[in-house]
Amino acid sequence: MGPGTAWYLSVAGFLFAVGSLGVLIRRNPLIVLLSLEIMLNGANLALITFARHLDSGDGQIFALAVMAVAASEVVVGLGLIVALNRKRVPLDVDRLSSLRG
Amino acid sequence: MIPRPHIDWFALAPMNALLAVSAIALLSAVLVPRPWRKGVASAFCALGYTVALGFAVALYVRSAHPHGVVADVFRRDRLTELAGIIVAGSGLLATAISYRERWREDHVGEYYALLAAAGGGMLFFVGANNLMTLFLALEWFSICLYVLCAIDRDRLGGLEAALKYLVIGGFGSAVLLFGSALVYGATGAIDFPGIAAAGRQHDALLLFGLAMIVAGLGFKASAAPFHMWTPDVYEGAPTPVTAFMAAATKTVALVVTLRLLITAFSADAHVWTVALAAIAVCSLVIGNFAALAQRGVKRMLAYSSISHAGFMLIPIAADSALGARALLYYLVPYTAMSLGSFAVVAARERELGVPVTFENMAGFGWERPLLGISMWAFMLGFAGFPLTGGFVGKFYAFAAAYRHGWTWLVIVGVLATLVSLYYYLGLIRAMFMRRSEDLQLAPIGGSPPRDALLQGAVFACLIVTVGSFFAVQPLIDLAKHASSSLPF
Repeated sequence: MGPGTAWYLSVAGFLFAVGSLGVLIRRNPLIVLLSLEIMLNGANLALITFARHLDSGDGQIFALAVMAVAASEVVVGLGLIVALNRKRVPLDVDRLSSLRG
Repeated sequence: MIPRPHIDWFALAPMNALLAVSAIALLSAVLVPRPWRKGVASAFCALGYTVALGFAVALYVRSAHPHGVVADVFRRDRLTELAGIIVAGSGLLATAISYRERWREDHVGEYYALLAAAGGGMLFFVGANNLMTLFLALEWFSICLYVLCAIDRDRLGGLEAALKYLVIGGFGSAVLLFGSALVYGATGAIDFPGIAAAGRQHDALLLFGLAMIVAGLGFKASAAPFHMWTPDVYEGAPTPVTAFMAAATKTVALVVTLRLLITAFSADAHVWTVALAAIAVCSLVIGNFAALAQRGVKRMLAYSSISHAGFMLIPIAADSALGARALLYYLVPYTAMSLGSFAVVAARERELGVPVTFENMAGFGWERPLLGISMWAFMLGFAGFPLTGGFVGKFYAFAAAYRHGWTWLVIVGVLATLVSLYYYLGLIRAMFMRRSEDLQLAPIGGSPPRDALLQGAVFACLIVTVGSFFAVQPLIDLAKHASSSLPF
């Protein structure tokens, strides 16, 4: 008998909170992408926890699909960072400020 | 023999057509020689959108009885198809506007492939009938749009816009996903009817999830306070992409919000009507006041689109069949006005080679009368003047709020409209009442040739904007049939 549903949910919520804090306060776009992944994984853990708790397969299939989506999203993000890096832009989201008004 | 589910391929035909042309356009990037590549890719993209439009119209006519498709993950009804018609029309016009965009053309095949694929994702999104389809379709078109923003790798603005869009869009999607997980936990279902049918015991869990889903959709619809990406992304993205985003993304995000809240969460209406009204007021205030301060036309239009997200959330917040009709009617002139106004900005941008501001729009109305008069009509339409569909749309939206008993929301909306007159009329003044001799222009390589495709697209938008005022009854009937597929 392992830890209960509430524990898994707490971990999921914690991961989501850590991820969102990372997106909001970190300045390196690579770390920001990493934090986005942590948010999605927190949501995945919540989905799987509920799937086990409710004994239904929907949440597990949902989580599998989310993994594929998260991977493709981060691929696009990394591609953008490489393209920005080729233009010799410093990797710092605070200094990406040519658009403002 | 494995039993196979019955699949209604006709209902999936619009998306499949767009996916097919997306694949062909992507192959043309490799197989077609460079001089013909743009022509072939754009022709296929336009063909795909035309076929999708045709299928959507046929499906609208033949979907009087709504039903689920592919194990009920997707809904075939008139709401899906009406939104599909709007998206496919926007995509067709965006293809025409893109054709003569000045950019380095080594990724033109990929551009049209992504444009078609984004449309396919949106068509799936509007029909989503469970939270998984909703999330997958949302990411499908969002990822296409992130790449489209950065398609011109030489422009730092485009790359920056794409990264901002990706980070904030990804944040919004993650919030939506966590909300979906909580709703799933509270109700044990991910399909909309199942969520509606589940008892409401875990109220805190469910309401928290609902709030996160509404916030996630708010990011996509660029409603305040989830709007912070909008001005930067609209400014930095290539203008045809901005036009498509402003028209189609907003349409699908609002239609899905309507469907989700009405079909899955009608039991919690006392909560989300108030939340949506608050978001609407926030968008109206922030959008209109921030737009007053803008000098760049694209940024002004971006803030105007935030304020219109507010206007169009009012009828959803009214939670009535009248509200649904008002939203679906309003979307028709709204998409035409956004596409048209960004197309006119694109035309001026191609003439000047610099970002378009209020100052360098001077005299444009006299130089290009068709575009000038169209822009006039679009601005008056945004402001809600009679003789344009914007007037009827706002009238219906306010009527829905009034019927719901929210006179204060109507008053906020009317005040916001009055504020918006300043910058909409300011642009008309800049185009027609400032002399272009005062302007220090550095045209890039002389006057560019007349762009028939862009002018045709703008003219089509003008006809829809003005026509939707005169053809109110047929359009309201369309919207009425579409909204009748929702359980009010």
